[in-house]
Amino acid sequence: MIATASAAEIPSRTKVLVTSLLFMGLAHLLYLKQYIKGIFFASIEVLFFIFLPRIWEKIVGMITLGDPQPNLPIRERDHSMFMLIDGIMILAVILIFVMLYYLSVKSALSGWQEIQINGKFPDKGSFFSEIGDKAFPVAGLMPAILLVLFFVIVPLVFSACVAFTNYSAPKNIPPNNTVDWVGLDNFRALFGGDAIWTGAMGRVAAWTLIWATLATITCYAGGIIMAVVLQESRIRLKTVFRSIFILPYAVPTVVSMLIWQNLLNGSFGTVNRTLIALGLITKDTVIPWLSDPKMARFMCIAINLWAGFPYFMLLTMGTMTSINKDQYEAADIDGASPIQRFRFITLPQVLYQTMPLIIMSFTFNINNFGAIFFLTGGNPIVADSTITSARGTDIMVTWIYKLTITLLKYNYASVLAVCIFVILAPFAIYNFRRTKSFKEGEL
Amino acid sequence: MTNSTITKKHSNERTFQIINKTIITIVLTIVAMAVLYPLIYLVSAAFAPGNSISSLNIIPFKDGVTLEHYRFLFNNTNYMLWFKNTFLIALGTSVTTVLTCAIAAYVFSRFRFPFKKSMMLSLLILQIFPSFVGMVAIYVILLRIGGLDTLWGMVLIYLAGNIPYNTWLVKSYIDSIPRSLDEAARIDGASNARTFFQIVLPLAKPIIIFLAITSFTGPWMEFVFSKMILRSNAKQTLALGLFSFVTDKKNEFTTFCAGALIIAIPFVIFFVLTQRILVTSLSSGALKE
Repeated sequence: MIATASAAEIPSRTKVLVTSLLFMGLAHLLYLKQYIKGIFFASIEVLFFIFLPRIWEKIVGMITLGDPQPNLPIRERDHSMFMLIDGIMILAVILIFVMLYYLSVKSALSGWQEIQINGKFPDKGSFFSEIGDKAFPVAGLMPAILLVLFFVIVPLVFSACVAFTNYSAPKNIPPNNTVDWVGLDNFRALFGGDAIWTGAMGRVAAWTLIWATLATITCYAGGIIMAVVLQESRIRLKTVFRSIFILPYAVPTVVSMLIWQNLLNGSFGTVNRTLIALGLITKDTVIPWLSDPKMARFMCIAINLWAGFPYFMLLTMGTMTSINKDQYEAADIDGASPIQRFRFITLPQVLYQTMPLIIMSFTFNINNFGAIFFLTGGNPIVADSTITSARGTDIMVTWIYKLTITLLKYNYASVLAVCIFVILAPFAIYNFRRTKSFKEGEL
Repeated sequence: MTNSTITKKHSNERTFQIINKTIITIVLTIVAMAVLYPLIYLVSAAFAPGNSISSLNIIPFKDGVTLEHYRFLFNNTNYMLWFKNTFLIALGTSVTTVLTCAIAAYVFSRFRFPFKKSMMLSLLILQIFPSFVGMVAIYVILLRIGGLDTLWGMVLIYLAGNIPYNTWLVKSYIDSIPRSLDEAARIDGASNARTFFQIVLPLAKPIIIFLAITSFTGPWMEFVFSKMILRSNAKQTLALGLFSFVTDKKNEFTTFCAGALIIAIPFVIFFVLTQRILVTSLSSGALKE
């Protein structure tokens, strides 16, 4: 049966807009005869209202973070961190609700438009098949959206929030005690307020930037040099050498770094023992590869070069094979030397193509937990290490780990996380502007 | 120019080339030795007698070859259990990542819907932050849903961390598949789901394989989250088990190497075999986004 709508049955746009704004799905039920959609939207709003008291309670909990209740047994006291995370998750749920509300209004308006154009209500048969087909994109996106929302965004927001609380050992660890909002106190302590912590902060931040810069440059340069030498040399063993050179990339970082850590051990490591056996050093003059702060930092970059150059070598070789052969032939005819060919044809094109990856590699190295943690563990100990847990080669991410796991200073760890966020934000924007979708105006 | 100067010039060039090749070969050999240095000790320590790094002979394989560390690993430790746990986590992560990212990427590539731009933008920005910045929160969330000390909890964490980057990666690939192909299927009456599974997915096979492999290899040596989430002995993974051999308290370097070698070998074989494909997929995946 085809429902033909007489002029009287077609509602006005204002009516549809007002009713859909008034209550989710109301317009669908009253005017558009889209009952299933209407009931779906309406039941979401009903559920929201049923849970409103609890939602309100969670939001209040997030704002107060609970009251100290020393008289109650520990199990019954307010757990500030649960309250905070519940509050953030509720905010995420509210966000979803608002988005759905927006969708329901939009759907009502587009439904109205369709009736207006067709002059009739959509018939039932097409409506059902349409729902089945429309469900696919929604159902397909749902898992990705929910997972990212609750396991990526909520944790990041939580982290940012903790930076403004006093969540730290020994006084403010739930469930024994509560946590309070302290405003910018943590930032003040780490940026000038507390001499020891400020010193450690400055040292770690500076080293993180130096580390990321040098680690990126050395690996990039090393990778390009090896790729060019391999590609241009035309020696017979090329494939053998290439297979050897990609080994560090293939071996998991944890394994290779822990092996290096042992080989470079001051008194027991094979490196020093080999040097002693060769008579280059004596037992008393062993080289403190990983126990002298400056030397340890140098070794971090050197070993990272060992582990990181194959990636850039592979990339460069990939781009080199895509360079047009005609250019080389033309250069040969003009009598260019191999060095000139490299300088004026190969290098510019390789640089141009791999430049974005330098930026990506820099952000990767800022976060390169494994290369530091498994090689030096952050060692050696420096003056403030006992208080701050930041050692000579710790970068920000390894320090975050230590603050969280050993010192339980979650507040300071979160300040560091916020700092990483601030450092990386420009790169995120760069990353965005570089994409094809942005360039083609899709975003 | 006389004949003799031409031949002289030729022979000069040849000697120059020979010297050049020799120098390059020497340089390459030195680099190769530096690259192989720790790996040779990895192999030799795995079969060397003795326990700690201090007892390891500086000349590889000098003290003979023994299988005692492997006997120790399989008889006296939970190595097989660690292997099984890690394998299950890796497999779970790989399958769920491929499914979630491929469908999401297809929807992003082919459909228009509200909030599409802001969602894609958030994914792009989120991919730059390491997931363990929020590890305290992830811990509390897993505690809330009973996911602590479980393998599925680990899969959830890895999966969520994989989504932002890989959805973009697959989306870029699907964008390059002509729309006319799936439009033709739609005209023939295929549903969205059918179009995706029977037309788009087979065409996106290269990137799907790439994604399956990278998300499978990722969890094998992940340490931070495993350490925080997996507490009981029955739920340990390889990274945790192997790391426990070389903590400050005990140094069983040779046992560590024996266990690590078993993991490293398949990785190395895979990388060496696929280096050609790797080169092209690295450059096309990363460069031409």
